[in-house]
Amino acid sequence: MAVTAGTLQHAQVEEHEDPRESLMYDPKPRGEMNGMVMESMQTTSWKFWVVAILLSIVVVVCLFGAWGYLIANGLGVAGVNRPSYWGIFLVNTVFWVGISHAGTFVSALLRVFKAEFRRPFTRAAELMTTFGLIQAGLCIFMHMGRVWLSYWLIPYPNERGLWPNFHSPLAWDFLAITTYILASTMYLFLPLIPDLAMARDRSTGWRKVFFRILALGFRGTEGEWTHLRIAMGIFAFAILPVMFSVHTIVSWDFAVATRPGWSSTIFGPYFVVGALQSGIAAVAMVVIIIRSSMKHMKYFIRPEHLDALGKLMLVVSMAWAYFFFNDYMVQWYGGDKFTHYLMHFQEKGPLGWMWFALLIFNVVIPWLFLWNRKVRRNPALLFTIGLIINIGMWFERYLIIPVGLTINRMPFSWRLYKPGIEVVLGIGTLAFFILLYMIATRLIPIVPVWEIQEGQMAHSLRKVGKATVKSVSELE
Amino acid sequence: MSETKTLLALFEDIDPAVAAIDHLREMGISNEQINVISGIPLTERMLGRPRQWSNVPRLAAGGAVAGFLIGAFLAFITPMLYPIQVGGQALIPGPPTVVVLFEMTMLGMLVSTFIGVFLDSTFPSYRPKEYVSEISDGKIAVLFNCPADNEKAFVNALTDLKARSIVPAEVQKL
Amino acid sequence: MEIPIEESQHKWGMVIDQDLCTGCQACVTACAMENNIPFGGESDAEYGRSMQWIQVQRFWEGSYPDVRMTPFQPILCQQCGHAPCEPVCPVYASVHSRTEQINLQVYNRCVGTRYCANNCPYQMRVFNWRDYQRPDPLPNQLNPSVTVRRRGIMEKCTFCVQRIKHAEDQAKSENRLLADGEVQTACAQVCPSNAIIFGRLDDPESRVSILARNGRALQMLDYLGTLPSVTYLKGA
Repeated sequence: MAVTAGTLQHAQVEEHEDPRESLMYDPKPRGEMNGMVMESMQTTSWKFWVVAILLSIVVVVCLFGAWGYLIANGLGVAGVNRPSYWGIFLVNTVFWVGISHAGTFVSALLRVFKAEFRRPFTRAAELMTTFGLIQAGLCIFMHMGRVWLSYWLIPYPNERGLWPNFHSPLAWDFLAITTYILASTMYLFLPLIPDLAMARDRSTGWRKVFFRILALGFRGTEGEWTHLRIAMGIFAFAILPVMFSVHTIVSWDFAVATRPGWSSTIFGPYFVVGALQSGIAAVAMVVIIIRSSMKHMKYFIRPEHLDALGKLMLVVSMAWAYFFFNDYMVQWYGGDKFTHYLMHFQEKGPLGWMWFALLIFNVVIPWLFLWNRKVRRNPALLFTIGLIINIGMWFERYLIIPVGLTINRMPFSWRLYKPGIEVVLGIGTLAFFILLYMIATRLIPIVPVWEIQEGQMAHSLRKVGKATVKSVSELE
Repeated sequence: MSETKTLLALFEDIDPAVAAIDHLREMGISNEQINVISGIPLTERMLGRPRQWSNVPRLAAGGAVAGFLIGAFLAFITPMLYPIQVGGQALIPGPPTVVVLFEMTMLGMLVSTFIGVFLDSTFPSYRPKEYVSEISDGKIAVLFNCPADNEKAFVNALTDLKARSIVPAEVQKL
Repeated sequence: MEIPIEESQHKWGMVIDQDLCTGCQACVTACAMENNIPFGGESDAEYGRSMQWIQVQRFWEGSYPDVRMTPFQPILCQQCGHAPCEPVCPVYASVHSRTEQINLQVYNRCVGTRYCANNCPYQMRVFNWRDYQRPDPLPNQLNPSVTVRRRGIMEKCTFCVQRIKHAEDQAKSENRLLADGEVQTACAQVCPSNAIIFGRLDDPESRVSILARNGRALQMLDYLGTLPSVTYLKGA
């Protein structure tokens, strides 16, 4: 990843390439950029409202309505059975936790590696983390048999005389996801404060009251910037091990079990890389939608950013293929007979098409197309590839969880899993994610303008011999 | 004791602002009497200002320790409060303990870093302060206390140094 | 020294003789009666939601027309010594009992994550997928010593722990020790061919201990290290 960032930073300017195509070399006065961001936040077309209302209806019916039905009638209305006690609820949980790794990757990992192309979309990615984790949490609650007692997982002194069982990966999940969602939201909020102050200065009416309260009285004094910068530095480094640990702990829900196909020691890094793959693909999708649907965003999000995201998608796809093959090879070669029954079922059973689709979507398509610069820079194509990768990753988790559970060491229990109300609820969480995101884009500035101005200040063109080269200074 | 007045000089760019700060120091204003407010972070090295101290790193470290202690309580003490045998594993299992300690340490560190920003910057604070909205539009404001009777000299000096405007700093509701 | 019955640690175990089992499923019926197991219904049972704490599993080998039945396999919770279902429950609903050396399912603690069922290698945990109806006069048949479970709770064979506790209480009040064969699980009590023997494995002279040392004895999935308390006799 560092090599990629370095290559992008010090690329020579081609004869025909205008450096002003690049956001960092096309600076605008801060006031003008502020105005653009405020306008994009406050402009809503009728299409926005139609989509928002439709999504709200879907959320009310497919999420809250269906969930109430599930709680009242029990897990019997879902598709889970013996032996697939976990089904699409857990697939969706792992999927949403994977999506949530996008934000941390962009705003923390790319910041640590000083990849300048991250600047316009760090906040857009971090929003995905917070909202993705909300959906993951909802999916976890949905799969519980007695969800009204789920507070028993919170470690606090109580009159029941019992604390949570810390032998259990689910208790680790609780701690890890709580840590991650709090850390992520705090990391979303800290760089947002100066932009909230800017919005406060440029708003009137209820918006001004809203921003005034949230901006906490920020002015931009030296002391305030110092504390903020130090805190952001600590967060950027510290949230990375948290990010790695969260999906590793989620993978341990499966890896510590005694089931064939689950008890694999590679699951930790395999799941982390899988999360990065679906996360980065999802960032690309969201960024493309923001670019095409919000005013002025074509100034901030340019083909160069799509290009960089496309390259990341290709590299992570290769890493994913490496881990997938590690898992596959070891099971194929040295697995016991039940592991082999499971592999046979996954590849040649009724859902064998899903296994092949998984490989085509996650490996073949990225490797075939993302080499091409034109494809990476084309929003429609990159969006399609991102969507295909996400579908492939969803298939991967479906193959691991309900299909993996179908074949176990007691053949009398083998039964096909047929999804029930989980499908409706999954659509509900997707609609909820999109709805929350749409609301957020109109409530807070989606682009961190101060970081863009800071970046533009650090970038300059200088002459080395006869060549004009791009140059980035370290202002910290 | 002569009266002091607080003036706010607004600059377009960093170089005139730095020249102004140097000039103010030459004219006898000490560093504590000067405050620089900007729309992007400008390091003290760029501005030629004394080092800014922050409690955030110490609070982060303290929070990490607090988190570790809470994790240690959850991992070591709670199993002993009501011992239950599960799965033939030891009462205080090794690897799960590492997980619990790690997560709680990170949580403690990050929450206290966040709270540290609030404490150090005294957020939230909604009382009126010296500020102009041009700052968030990218201008750099130099806020300083000068003797009231010498106000004109400062105004002239800074105008010569290309200040966009120099006004008495008005405490306004943000 | 006499150890009071309450603090005594017995290790309860079972031997199932597959060569004697006729596949009549009286054990399944008796278990359901004793433990207030609801009727799941035909479509649920077909979908893998059968409410059976003990199952008589049937297999065949060969292909048509040379199809042969293999011995019936009554399988229930193996009450593992190192039960994989125990460490994974986040709320300690699946715990190991020190006094009976079996795996306890604490109904009122279960929040229904079903991790225990995923981790059971024998797949013998039963989940309440719905609130099952008991049309009149079925509620009259309920055993008052056993909780009736609502939806969202995991359950499984308990080695009729209510009978064990009752017998131990009885023996203590009569100031005597438990005799071998005094405690019978419902399935052992009703089996017409005496294929199920229940007793104390910590008593080397009890019938179940003697049978567990038989030449035909084997334990299911023992290579996993679960230390099951159920021994099967097969291969006459």
